[in-house]
Amino acid sequence: MLALQLLVDGVLLGGTYVLIAQSLNLIFGVMGVVNLAHGSFIVMAGLFTAWFTATTAASPLLVLPIVLLVGFGVGAVLQPLLLERLVRHGRRAELLSLMVTFGLDYVLVELALQIFGSNYVSVPYLQSTFTVGGVTVSKALLVAGLSGAALAALLHIGLNRTPLGKALLAASQSATGAVSCGIDVGRMRLVAFALGVGLASAAGVLLVLVIPMAAESADSLTILAFVIIALGGLGNYVGVAVAALLLGIAQSVVGFYFGGDAENVLPFVLLIGFMAARPQRFRRAA
Amino acid sequence: MTPYERPGREHGRVWRGISLAAVAATVIVVIPLAGSAYTLQLATDILTSAALAYGWNLISGFTGYLSFGQVSFYGIGGYATALLVLHTPLPWYVAVAAGGLLAATAAVVIGPIMLRLRGILFALGMFGLARILGVVFSDWSYAGGGNGVTLPAELTPIGVYVFAALVALVGFGLSAWVACSGFGLDAMGLREDEEAAAALGVPTTRVKVFAFVASAVLPALAGGLVAWNRSYIDPPSMFDPTIDLQTVVFVLFGGIGTVWGPFLGTLVLMLVGEQFLVYFPNLELALFGLVVILTVLILPGGLVSLANRFGWLRQPVVLAPTELPDAAPPLPRASSADAVPVLEVRDLTVRFGGLVALHSVSFMVGRGETISIIGANGAGKTTLFNTLTGFIQPAAGEIRFLGRSVAHLPAFRRAQLGMARSFQIPRVMDAMTVWENVVLAARHGRQGHRAVEHAAWVLHTVGLAPMWLHPVTRLSPGHRRLLEFARVLALDPELVLLDEVMAGMSREEQENVRTVIRRLPALGVAAVACVEHVIAAIADLSDRMIVLDFGRKIADDVPSRVLTDPVVVRAYLGEPQ
Repeated sequence: MLALQLLVDGVLLGGTYVLIAQSLNLIFGVMGVVNLAHGSFIVMAGLFTAWFTATTAASPLLVLPIVLLVGFGVGAVLQPLLLERLVRHGRRAELLSLMVTFGLDYVLVELALQIFGSNYVSVPYLQSTFTVGGVTVSKALLVAGLSGAALAALLHIGLNRTPLGKALLAASQSATGAVSCGIDVGRMRLVAFALGVGLASAAGVLLVLVIPMAAESADSLTILAFVIIALGGLGNYVGVAVAALLLGIAQSVVGFYFGGDAENVLPFVLLIGFMAARPQRFRRAA
Repeated sequence: MTPYERPGREHGRVWRGISLAAVAATVIVVIPLAGSAYTLQLATDILTSAALAYGWNLISGFTGYLSFGQVSFYGIGGYATALLVLHTPLPWYVAVAAGGLLAATAAVVIGPIMLRLRGILFALGMFGLARILGVVFSDWSYAGGGNGVTLPAELTPIGVYVFAALVALVGFGLSAWVACSGFGLDAMGLREDEEAAAALGVPTTRVKVFAFVASAVLPALAGGLVAWNRSYIDPPSMFDPTIDLQTVVFVLFGGIGTVWGPFLGTLVLMLVGEQFLVYFPNLELALFGLVVILTVLILPGGLVSLANRFGWLRQPVVLAPTELPDAAPPLPRASSADAVPVLEVRDLTVRFGGLVALHSVSFMVGRGETISIIGANGAGKTTLFNTLTGFIQPAAGEIRFLGRSVAHLPAFRRAQLGMARSFQIPRVMDAMTVWENVVLAARHGRQGHRAVEHAAWVLHTVGLAPMWLHPVTRLSPGHRRLLEFARVLALDPELVLLDEVMAGMSREEQENVRTVIRRLPALGVAAVACVEHVIAAIADLSDRMIVLDFGRKIADDVPSRVLTDPVVVRAYLGEPQ
């Protein structure tokens, strides 16, 4: 029964992870850039949600679409301002983009610290639980996990069924190929970054419902997202979803037996362990 | 201008750098004599940070492996120093040095594993390592756990200062050595293109690990100094990722991959940061983040690139003599027995997952022979070349080069033994001069003991001598191809493997390449193997032709017979209707 309990908790946590990872995956896929500020967007959205719901008593699910839109807008402004100008550096653009998002990460985290303080916050939302067949399910976790998975699924459908989504996928598979099909790859980079930041912000809203969050959580979340896409396979949306769920389960098990420190450090251990064991699997992504 | 571009080259003259070093040294000596306690502490902090910056610059600047976790070694050094002081009678400076040694050992163990990763994976892997160490030390009661270690107060500001100055000087010295030595050339070569460097005989893993170890010792010594200076350390402060951020900012602002950049960046930003803190407390990190963004967008080469524009702080062209020596032909080398074939391939099989790319291919290349390997797209030609030169591991089979089994040797060893290859698209090192590209290869080739003379001979021979100090970015496409070819000759190879050098060339360009191939035997090359698509251009040069079809050898004979062989014709043109 304990096993089933941990499994359910893990899967639901994994549901929010799917969204975190897929939003990074989208940016990485289309732009070829690991957005090191990813976690700070998540944290920013989470801290905002906690503050906003506490001051106005609004439902977090009402905040979600607003935050998503604002995130989209922020991404749409930052991409041409910071990242698009680096494309002309060709082969060195990757390094420079890493540096820029690295710098951006610290600016955003510091901003979050100044605005929301350094404390861990959470949202008192749906704090009751219900029991099914001996398994206790937290309602907040259920809502967050299902919403995260639903948004990720929506992204997946959008990418595969809509013309814009197909253009994004095309740009991520081959920029040259996409250009020769008449796709404006520069615009696709903009859309991917904006959409990625928007979805990351949405993930922040959901995540703060289930785990306490502080400005300093940003880097861990970036790494978490990166570990999931590294494990699931770059550009492989199904693989990433599976990896997110597995990591959720692994964290809930490790957290139960070894405590919070071990749970938090697990993604790093997995990343280094897998990279050391199977470097050829990661060669491609570099 | 981008980082790593090294625009400012100063051939022969470095006196400006030396005079600047003299000024810096004087100031460093005067501060403890004349400055207040505050000045001394600030100067100590600047020198300690500069040591960190120099450490990071070695692995991420010169070698191109971006690390976000060198703070791991800072922490290791700090803790080693603290624990040694606490539990042994060792004096401070010995404990600090022991911390450096421990970090070096750790880097030797970790390096070969982590450095298999490239780009963002290495960067985040190192970041993760720092996090893991932070957690481990928080839970390790012997090291004080989360409470940290308090040390007996033994504040000797002058001692710390002198030690910090020494460590920073070692960092500077290492950077200066790397910037003008053959080792540095190897490091910068693999930063540009790791595979091409290996094909030129650069022992890539050894170079990377050495740079990594050096870049671990400096932060470890800095960590030890900080423990000494503060008499209290704990995991959050010793494994703090913002220390890496600071280091990255300092180096980037000063000029990444330069000798002076880390010091200048640290100096300017710490002095500015000190003022900034007075007016905007708590915003330091945001400021640093902003500096990174603005530097990348506006001045990617940092302060040093700005100084370069006025002729200051230029780095010398590595291993360049003042004048290009006259062409002295290569010394005869100890030649292997003539009876042994240059290359002997037996039952070579290569699999990619379920796909058999090469199926039991066998052939020989004798002394004095020029052979060509032809086949349709996907026949396995390039795979064959990559396997011969060590970039792909065969599933089965034997490769003997000059009678010696090489199938298990790494690519760089095969290059050093005299097996040189060209790439389909020239992979010359764009951030270097023509001279550096050639001397890089010459150092690892069989004339390595007289690399400078040999490189000069090669440049005269291929006709690149007039532009020997030009940056590669200024070469025309034709000259780039010539340079790629010069690097092949620089290895003084026995066997030259040319990968589709004529693909996409005009008739005239093809004729130039054909002339070069004809000259190869006269330049000391015992055998040539070409992979080629353009059959007409290669047939009359070849003594023999080998035809591959779906990974199998279907013909191996003189060109006239191969080209009329019905099996070959069918493989190329399909079944007659």
